Amino acid sequence: MSSTTNYILGVFDDEDEVLHAVSEVKSKGIKIDEVYTPFPIHGLDTAIGHERTRLPIAAFMFGTLGMICALSLISYTMVFDWPMIIGGKDFFALPNWIPVTFEGTVLFTAFGLVITFCISNNLFPGNNVEPLDLRITDDKFVMAINLDKNKLGQDEITKALKSSGAIEVNVK
Amino acid sequence: MSHVVSPIREHLVTGGKSYSDVTHDICKQVEGEPTKEWKIAFAISCVIFAYGAYCLFYTWWQGIGVWGLNKTVGWAWDITNFVWWVGIGHAGTLISAVLLLFRQKWRTSINRSAEAMTIFAVLCAASFILAHMGRPWLAHWALPLPNAFGSLWVNFNSPLVWDVFAISTYLSVSLLFWYMGLVPDLATIRDRATTKGRKFWYGLFSLGWTGSAKTWARYEYMSLILAGISTPLVLSVHTIVSMDFATSVIPGWHTTIFPPYFVAGAIFSGFAMVQTLLLITRVVFKLEDYITIEHIEMMNIVVTVTGSVVGIAYLTEFFIAWYSGVEYESYAFINRATGPYWWAYWMMMTCNVISPQLFWFKSIRTNLMVSFFLSIVVNVGMWFERFVIIVTSLHRDYLPSSWAMFSPTMYDIGDYIFSFGLFFTLFFLFAKFLPVVNMAEVKSVMKGVSSNFPKKVAKKSKSEE
Amino acid sequence: MAGHSHFSPANVEEHFEFTSEGKRRVIIAFIVGLVATIIGIYLLSKGESGGHEIAAAGHEAAGAGHEAAQAHVSGGAVSHQAGAEEHYDWTNRIWANVWLNAVFFTGIAVVGMFFVSLQYLTKSGWSSVMKRVPEAFPKFLFVSIPILALVFFFKGDVIFHWMHHGVTEVGNANYDKIIAGKSGYLNKNFFLIRLLGFGAIWIILWNMLRKKSLEEDLIGGTDLFTQKVKIGTAFIVVFGASSSIFAWDWVMSIDTHWFSTMFGWYMFASWHVTTYAVIVLAILYLKDKGLMAYVNENHLHDLGKFMFAFSIFWSYVWFEQFLLIYYANLPEESIYFLERWEGHDKIYKASEVLMVLLNFLLPFLVLMTRDAKRTRIFLKIAAFLIIAGHYIDFYQMIMPGVLGKHGGYGLVEFGMVTVFASAFIYMISAELTKASLVAKNHPFLPEALHHDI
Repeated sequence: MSSTTNYILGVFDDEDEVLHAVSEVKSKGIKIDEVYTPFPIHGLDTAIGHERTRLPIAAFMFGTLGMICALSLISYTMVFDWPMIIGGKDFFALPNWIPVTFEGTVLFTAFGLVITFCISNNLFPGNNVEPLDLRITDDKFVMAINLDKNKLGQDEITKALKSSGAIEVNVK
Repeated sequence: MSHVVSPIREHLVTGGKSYSDVTHDICKQVEGEPTKEWKIAFAISCVIFAYGAYCLFYTWWQGIGVWGLNKTVGWAWDITNFVWWVGIGHAGTLISAVLLLFRQKWRTSINRSAEAMTIFAVLCAASFILAHMGRPWLAHWALPLPNAFGSLWVNFNSPLVWDVFAISTYLSVSLLFWYMGLVPDLATIRDRATTKGRKFWYGLFSLGWTGSAKTWARYEYMSLILAGISTPLVLSVHTIVSMDFATSVIPGWHTTIFPPYFVAGAIFSGFAMVQTLLLITRVVFKLEDYITIEHIEMMNIVVTVTGSVVGIAYLTEFFIAWYSGVEYESYAFINRATGPYWWAYWMMMTCNVISPQLFWFKSIRTNLMVSFFLSIVVNVGMWFERFVIIVTSLHRDYLPSSWAMFSPTMYDIGDYIFSFGLFFTLFFLFAKFLPVVNMAEVKSVMKGVSSNFPKKVAKKSKSEE
Repeated sequence: MAGHSHFSPANVEEHFEFTSEGKRRVIIAFIVGLVATIIGIYLLSKGESGGHEIAAAGHEAAGAGHEAAQAHVSGGAVSHQAGAEEHYDWTNRIWANVWLNAVFFTGIAVVGMFFVSLQYLTKSGWSSVMKRVPEAFPKFLFVSIPILALVFFFKGDVIFHWMHHGVTEVGNANYDKIIAGKSGYLNKNFFLIRLLGFGAIWIILWNMLRKKSLEEDLIGGTDLFTQKVKIGTAFIVVFGASSSIFAWDWVMSIDTHWFSTMFGWYMFASWHVTTYAVIVLAILYLKDKGLMAYVNENHLHDLGKFMFAFSIFWSYVWFEQFLLIYYANLPEESIYFLERWEGHDKIYKASEVLMVLLNFLLPFLVLMTRDAKRTRIFLKIAAFLIIAGHYIDFYQMIMPGVLGKHGGYGLVEFGMVTVFASAFIYMISAELTKASLVAKNHPFLPEALHHDI
């Protein structure tokens, strides 16, 4: 978070309240930047208005890629590069290749998925973030509102946050 | 997540914990000085590890001739131990993945240590693959790498190569799954850090986690997909391990039920090992409010169910061996039960099929001492199961003149001891430096499953003053 | 989350009415099926359907040449279709079809009970809202178990090689050493005892569970719940043993020489996923009628996941059984797949391919995304594919052994499955009317009504 922007932080201590507060604050025409929570809250992202993630599509693509890579490698080595008769089967012994193909698919899916996830969320070792509030990873739910992106002033936003259940309101 | 929970369910978190209490209770052994018990236990496991490492080094130095193998029984403790450890390494990912898909909330307090246990068990298993090779410095030959010997590739039609892929995929995907689960909790420790070193290390590995709603939403999707692909992965690993035997034509090995029956056995032994470790961990780290009797009972029920499935598979094999009318197949099974290794067979039957049936009594499955004892009995039985399958099928060759027995040398035993040293050393390190319970997940299900969850009302009025 | 909180146990009670219009339709379907069957039988008697019989007499070895050679190598595993050939009579196809459908629908009926028992054992909350639907399925056992027993008693020798005259008699021309070795297990009396014994236990346990379940609607309380957990557990124990035994008895012993330790779990996997598909179709039908509004897309999503997961599970079981037999290539085992792949003039090859397509690939692709599992039309498509695919799966298990090269898809097959399906629908619908569609006093109902994933 850049230090030049002005954030108003509404601190909540209950997940149902913060979820409720999101729609309440939004209904007053306030744009919420993000809500930070110690654990996932079901439906919070859609309540804020975030778009649904396309990670599953990425996972499917990586899986398909893994399957193609595994099958290509196996058929290249076993059929074209150095064909051998194993157990009296055809060179192209597809049933025997299913296990390795499956493992290749899973391997690519898992690593592709996690790497995509880390990139899209800016997660990498050495990323020293300054948390908006140290209690976010403990027991507090923090609603961050960017003053520059809102028409309403600081006082009105503070009031709205308080009235929707925030236990404290800080400025950062 | 819906908080509506039927009142007839048992509480999964007791003692009226608040979210902050969870953070505190779990983080305190990471942040505090190691306890005396921990130091003693760790020292013992290091000694075991050192002795085992000597034996393993000697095995590598001299070659696997130091084992008790002979021309008939060419595969014994090495592969038994491998299969045993891989089997144990099934529970963690199963608990995380399958129970996540089934939304079983009781998984949340145990999945972290179960997954850690899984990874260490698979490492132990991998050590036996390396030990097997005789020349472990050439282990990379098992991979399809371009090499200096012309176009010489690994044989993708061989179940042993399938195994290389299955174990390495399983190890790396489990590690990934476990690590991604740790990230939010590492961030918790980072944000509580009072020393510079801790802030640096936990900051480094928490990857700059902020806990934003967007990240969490993606994180949940990622976890679900990882769980979705890990579930068939868990099944595939022991399936492929079983195919090391089942693709052969040796009586007692070549049987189509092997894959699912190995998987059931793996879950069985893995849950028993998780049970053993959790019963110790909950006492040592005072986690009785998180790992409750309800958790232990659930684990025991899973042990009973999988033990019974394994029992059905034993009987099926025996029955079909007779039904098939194949002389060699029938002999293999009669020899198991009544031949020179009858004691191993009946050890397996008693420990795996009969002893878990005691858990039909609620008083037994909620008794900590009995649960602890039986969880060890189960793993003894599962070791004997692999021994029975492997050694009794081999020791009676098609030529009676080749019939032989197997007796282990001190290096067979020493290499097995090595794996225990490795396992416990890693587990104790994990228990000291990482949170043994997944804090974020426990918090996310606490409303509804926690007894006396602190009421909000009191706090609220205070804040309005 | 918000949205469904206005449901309270008091207003979820809902009754399905099996209207005279509905009854009429099912009866018409039944009659159409019956007429088709009769025409099919007539055509069979004229020899116009099978077609190949005339040419078959002498050179049956040509089509099954490969297996015959294989069987020879194995020294004793005489291929079974030789037996089928000797005894072939055009009426065999009727009995084979009755047997096929009775086995198939018995599976759907009993797995309904298995599903409900499993929900009790695992204390699953989400399913309490729809468990009345699978709970009604076992009613069909009252029809299918007697059919199995009667067909076995009167026409067993048509279906089972081991019941042929003289196979176990030393010195008889039909004497078969391998079959004689199995006669301690495969004999008429013991078979009937198993069939009727386990069948009766299934029905009794279901009756107990059903009675307690209906009682719960009236009085509520958690005592009945714990009792049902016990009944469910008992059923799972019984079913764990009996499902494998029945797989060996009813299906595996058709190919008497052949054996596979996997077979019990394989057949169970097939029954299991079929039942999920039937449950989905039944619930979607009721929803289309405007009933079961409280079964929302979250519950459908769970059912969709089950269909998806168990399709994959079936594929896993099918594939690994195949792979191990293919890999080791022992003649006495691989004959099973050879017979279906290139034996009998290759008439079963297309079905074998179609089956894997319908049971694995298509459900996998259709149900892969989250949205598909929450959309009715995709669920319906997947459910139909799965049911059709597993009917073919059972067809492939039973027909090659019973009919050999005289099998085929004709009016008898389509008619017979329509007859059984409409009888099943009729009985289940009648059973559904007997109680509220939602178990209103189920202790987990509040959880299910707030189910949100």
